[in-house]
Parts: sequence; structure tokens; C-alpha cells
Amino acid sequence: MKLGAYPAFTATAFQARLAYRNQVWSSVFGELVATFAFIAVWTAAFADRGSVDGVSLPEMVTYVLIAGPLLQWNTTPFIREVGDAIRTGNVTAYLLKPLHYPGLLLFNQLGNNAFEQVTITLPVAIVVALSVGLLPPASFAHGALFLAYWAVSWSMLFLIATVVSLLAFWVLTAFALDWFLRGIMAVASGAIMPFWFMPAPLATILGNLPFAWVSYYPSAVYLGKLDIPAAFLHLALGLAWLAALGGFLAWLWSRASRRLVVQGG
Amino acid sequence: MLRHLRVVPHLVGIHVRTYMEYRGALFISWIAQAIGYAGVYASIALVLARFENLGGWSWPQMALLLAFHLLAYALGASLSFVQFRDMEEKVRLGTFDAILVKPIGTWTYLAFSGLNIEYGGHIVLAIGLMAWALASLPLDWSAPLALYFLAAIISAAMLTAALMTIIGATALIWVRSRHLFSIYFGFWELARYPLNIFPLPLQIMMITFAPLGFLAFIPTAVVLDKPVPILGDLAGPASLAIGPVFVLIAMLHWRYCLRNYQGAGG
Repeated sequence: MKLGAYPAFTATAFQARLAYRNQVWSSVFGELVATFAFIAVWTAAFADRGSVDGVSLPEMVTYVLIAGPLLQWNTTPFIREVGDAIRTGNVTAYLLKPLHYPGLLLFNQLGNNAFEQVTITLPVAIVVALSVGLLPPASFAHGALFLAYWAVSWSMLFLIATVVSLLAFWVLTAFALDWFLRGIMAVASGAIMPFWFMPAPLATILGNLPFAWVSYYPSAVYLGKLDIPAAFLHLALGLAWLAALGGFLAWLWSRASRRLVVQGG
Repeated sequence: MLRHLRVVPHLVGIHVRTYMEYRGALFISWIAQAIGYAGVYASIALVLARFENLGGWSWPQMALLLAFHLLAYALGASLSFVQFRDMEEKVRLGTFDAILVKPIGTWTYLAFSGLNIEYGGHIVLAIGLMAWALASLPLDWSAPLALYFLAAIISAAMLTAALMTIIGATALIWVRSRHLFSIYFGFWELARYPLNIFPLPLQIMMITFAPLGFLAFIPTAVVLDKPVPILGDLAGPASLAIGPVFVLIAMLHWRYCLRNYQGAGG
């Protein structure tokens, strides 16, 4: 199947989500409540302190929005959908078609995420900006670099989620895999607690794992917590992790597609 | 009524036996879910390690709040979450009609035939964290306080099951209700933190329209003898009454939805 045909999956995924409008307003409400919860947590933590470790409360408010709703999309439906396709044997329908299954997942998820960014994250960002205030990027260069980091973040989370979901070929349950990933991401992505507030040894370990490129590094670059040379260096490291994970995914998929045994039908 | 209740152990037994056919998967899911929650709790612990307290709550106090939140949720949700989350599927596919003609109460059948023992991981983590928190806190235990603590957990679990029932039952008249769980879990997320850190309108909402302040914060604050915003001295009795009151509301809503159910396909 030609690469040019895959964007059709993106458009279809986007249009399919339009059919469930009730989910949009309830998701916006749920995301708003959760975002304001984290803003309240940081407001309470900072209390009367102007800044902690060189980080101010407005910076943390901006961090909450970028590291959470903007960058860390919900991998649960994605992992469970792949897990269900493997458990029920429906994945064979994709194997019969002239397409690359991980490629289909990639373009499908792009459509889903584009929909969520437009209908959920954007309204939440507008409400937060108008009510609490959001900071602009630290500089034009940081803003431009953030766009590159955003692409790395999305790709990293997609690759991590796809690798995790394909493990269901061996363990036959995506449910537990999803929960394991949630636990790891809560700490290791920096979405809840930025690494600059963590004990140095822990921050050093987590800062070298691929999860850090999902939330922590892009948010830190946006806020100017990494100078430009350091931002370029970490972008290169992130790309290296992407290449490694991409290679691992290709190897995993080649093994998974060969070992598939469908029981029933 | 008694005839119905005699069936309950059999319904639960059948469901548990189904789970036990895949005991490896069940055990892994317990561990996985416990790790999922532990990751979030570790992040909160790290925040408190750096900032010392959150709205006047230290880490052992927060640990008690988180443990209470998880235990009350798990107890209530094991009877209700998956069962009522899937209500819209049952309505859409027409399988709910088959439950209606069973010679047992519809709610009883739904709740107990789907009793979710996958919450075992939640419960073990919650009890472990609660035991550590209670051992770390200088609490002046007495028989009334211990009784209050147990009753408050039961009341909060009843509140959880009642809210899940209300949301799920709505599918009988709206066909779709799963999206309402997004709203529930938004407030559920807030209920992990001390209520006093939120703005006043949110505090009022968490005590009235979305009463998840009662899920953990209010009973924990009463046990720790901390001030409860808005409710003050009424917090103790209110936290015990909230579960039964919402069970009554859920029963009325459930009956109303059943009366107005017209099916949606099949």
C-alpha cells in the first residue's frame, strides 16, 4: 500500500470522532476539572513562596497544561483497542490487507489526537489562559524548538504505547500492560512532578529514559529551563531514543506477526 | 426479597469462578493496577517531600487521604463501575431486555453477577498504605472514632456505587451515558487532594452537585481533627449520612429510568 494512502486513515479517525459529540463536552469538562486540580495543587504547594528552585507559580501553571493535556494523550483507549484486536483475532483482518499494521495505527492515532487537540485541549487552554494565565515561550528560539520537541513527544508516546500494546501478542491481555504503563508514566514522564523538584539522583536516572521526552523536556524547553545548546543536545538524544524504539518496534512487529495463532473465529 | 438475596452468593460464586479460570491474568492485573496507582502516589509523595505540605497536610496525612480514597472507591466500584459503564452497550445491543425478564431484581443481578474482583490490587494497596499512614500518625484512637472510621468507609463506598448507578441508569433513557463517567472521574481526581486547596465554588460543588468531597477528604479530615470548609462540625454526621442518602436517590433514579426505558435496538 502506498504511503500516500495512509492519511485517509487520519481523516477517517477524525471524522469518526465527530459522530460522538456528547463525549466532547464531557471530556472538556473532565479535562478542565483535572487541569484546575493540578493548578490548585501547585498553588497550594507554592503558598506564599515567590519561586522555588528558580521556578515560579505561573511557570508551573503553564507546565501543568503543556506537560499534561497538550503532550500526554490518553494511551488507554489505544492500547485496549489493539489488545482487543489481538484477543479477538480481528487483527487478522488487518494482516490480510495490503497495509502495514503499525503504520495504520500511527495514522489512525494522528486523526484521534488531532481531534482531541482541537476539541478538548484547545478549549481547556483558552479557559486556563483567560482565567489563570499562560506564559508564552521563553524566547522565539525556545518556541521554535518546542515545536520540534512536540513532534518528538508525540512520536515517543506513540512508539511506547505501540510497543506496550504489541506485547499483548505474548501475554494476551492489554489491560495489565496499560496499567503498568500508566504507573511508569506518572513518575517517569514528569507530567505530574517536573524533574527539577525531584532529588538529583532520581532526576538524573529519569532524565535519561525515553519517557522524559514525552512531557518533561518539551515543557522545560518551552519555559526556557534548558538553554539553546542543551535543548539541541537533548533533542538529538530524543531522536536517538526514537530511532531505537522505532527499530525495536519493527523487530517486535516482525516477531509478533509471525507468531500469531488465532483461536476460533 | 430473601429469595433474591439467596441467589446473590451463587451469582458472585459463578463470576469469581470465571475469574479464577484465568488466575494468572487476575494476579497480574492486581499487580499492574497497584503499580498504576503507586506511580501517581509516588509523584504526590515527591511533591510533598519537596514542599513539606499541601494545604496544611503532611505526607502521612495525605497517605491516609489517598488510601481512604482508593479503598472507598474500590469497594463501591467493584459492585458498580464496570457493570454500569457497560449499560449503554446493553441498551444499544438489546441485551438489557434479557436481564429485565430474569426472576431477580435487575440492579441486584447486574451488580452481583458482575462483582469485579479485579479491584483486589486497589484494596491491597489501599490497606497497606492506610496501615502505614495510621501507624505514622499520632491518632488518639477510641471506640467511637474507630467505629466512625469504618462507617465512613462504608458510607463513601455506598456513595461511589450510588453515583455509578445514577450515571449507568441514565443510559436507559439517553441510550448513551458513558461520557458522563469522564465528568465523574474529573471530580474523582480532585477528591484525592485536600478540599481546602481548591477555590470556594469548587469546594461547594464537591460537597453538593458532585459530592466526591465525601469520598475521602471529609471523613479523613474528621479523623485527623482538621477543619472542614463549609460544613464545619456537621462534617462527621454528614459524611455518615451521605452514602445512605445517595443510595436512596440512586434507587429513585434507577426506578424512574426503568419505568421510562423503551429499548434502543436489539
